Amino acid sequence: MRYLLLAALGLLIGAAAACAAIYYNPFTMTKSAQLDVADRALHYALPSEVIGFALGDEVVPPGTPKRDDSLWEETIDRTAMLSLVLDDAHDNPTAIASRLLAVSPRTDFVLSGVRVNDYWLLTFPGEGTLFLRAETNVWPFLKETLPVWYLGRPWKGPSEYSPTAGPGEQGAAVVIGATGRFVGLEGTAIEKYRLTDLDPNARSAAATGEIDLRLGAPQVAKSE
Amino acid sequence: MKATFFLALFLGFAGVLAAGHFVPWGAHVRLPSQTRVVANGGRAEQFLIRLPADRIDAAGAKAAGLRAAAPRGASALPPQLTAEPLLVEHFKVRDAAGNVIGLAARHWSADARASGTAWSLMIPSRGALLLTAPGEQPAALDTALRNAGYNAGTAWIGDVRVALAPEGVDTAIVAAGSDEFSGLGGKYSETWTITGVTDGGELHGTIELATVTRKGT
Repeated sequence: MRYLLLAALGLLIGAAAACAAIYYNPFTMTKSAQLDVADRALHYALPSEVIGFALGDEVVPPGTPKRDDSLWEETIDRTAMLSLVLDDAHDNPTAIASRLLAVSPRTDFVLSGVRVNDYWLLTFPGEGTLFLRAETNVWPFLKETLPVWYLGRPWKGPSEYSPTAGPGEQGAAVVIGATGRFVGLEGTAIEKYRLTDLDPNARSAAATGEIDLRLGAPQVAKSE
Repeated sequence: MKATFFLALFLGFAGVLAAGHFVPWGAHVRLPSQTRVVANGGRAEQFLIRLPADRIDAAGAKAAGLRAAAPRGASALPPQLTAEPLLVEHFKVRDAAGNVIGLAARHWSADARASGTAWSLMIPSRGALLLTAPGEQPAALDTALRNAGYNAGTAWIGDVRVALAPEGVDTAIVAAGSDEFSGLGGKYSETWTITGVTDGGELHGTIELATVTRKGT
């Protein structure tokens, strides 16, 4: 019996130590990608500039009431859809983005963090549409928000995040011109956001974000 | 006794790390792909959207017609974005067998010279596709419905078929893809079949996206 108790205690302490190692693991933090020069910097504010959103049942934070229009089917229950207005440097609405997000199979708590595939359609009225493919690491965000939401820990924010982690060169997202004057252009993008408020009771957060785009003529084959 | 404790400690530590590394946390449920081989090469796959069940939301300029109507409670676009023709729609996507397999966003916009359509199709277990084509005329669906006897504000039942990207057109293309769709090129067609409109303007029918793709085109 003593051996059994000792083994259980050892397992618990070992598991707790591993959880701490995962929590403080530097490999799962995204290195901040940088664009040399951004052709366009667009800004958004959450939730005030959200036009619509839908969450998969499996990614709704526990304790948050589920909406009737949730993405409940088992093939899409770990996805999300977000449409938002993007502003230029003078805070004038200049584009609308549709983001389709899905938890990535490349998620790895030891080596890469919690990865999300993030596909944007970004339309500038009167100009055209860009397709943006990003892989983002949401682990730094989750590490900070979940203890505040669920364990009542004090929030140390506001905090800044650079979640873009590829798939392009130097960890930037890949941009492809889809319609209008953007046809034939390719480029890169990075996203940054600043968490400005975190409400543990409502399980909600407010943020301001920025997406920097750099476009040019293609240098490689179109489909990556 | 010491050995038991340290062995258990190691097993607990290694077990959690192994679970963090090897458990497929990001894997999605995958249904068999409903593809078929095309006689002259390539593979064909059809995606379906059933209206109104699969419509998540929409936003756009009034000139875009019935399709721009936002669901109740949705935020409206700022006027700066609706000064130019614009229509943004979001849907769930089904395979040819009618199973929901992904999400899609459709953006239609125009400038003084031309209009363009872009579809982003995300199938979580397989990747994403970008489809692009020249855009349809503003409110093309409304025009076709009116020609079939529909009057705004009244319910209508019928059968109208509108090809917004007709089959065989070289400019309606599979422009890019990721993961399983990476390196694929090809063509697509987009057909809306409307069988009814409620008095509130809700569309009933089906959108068919038929793709023919091959590697390296």
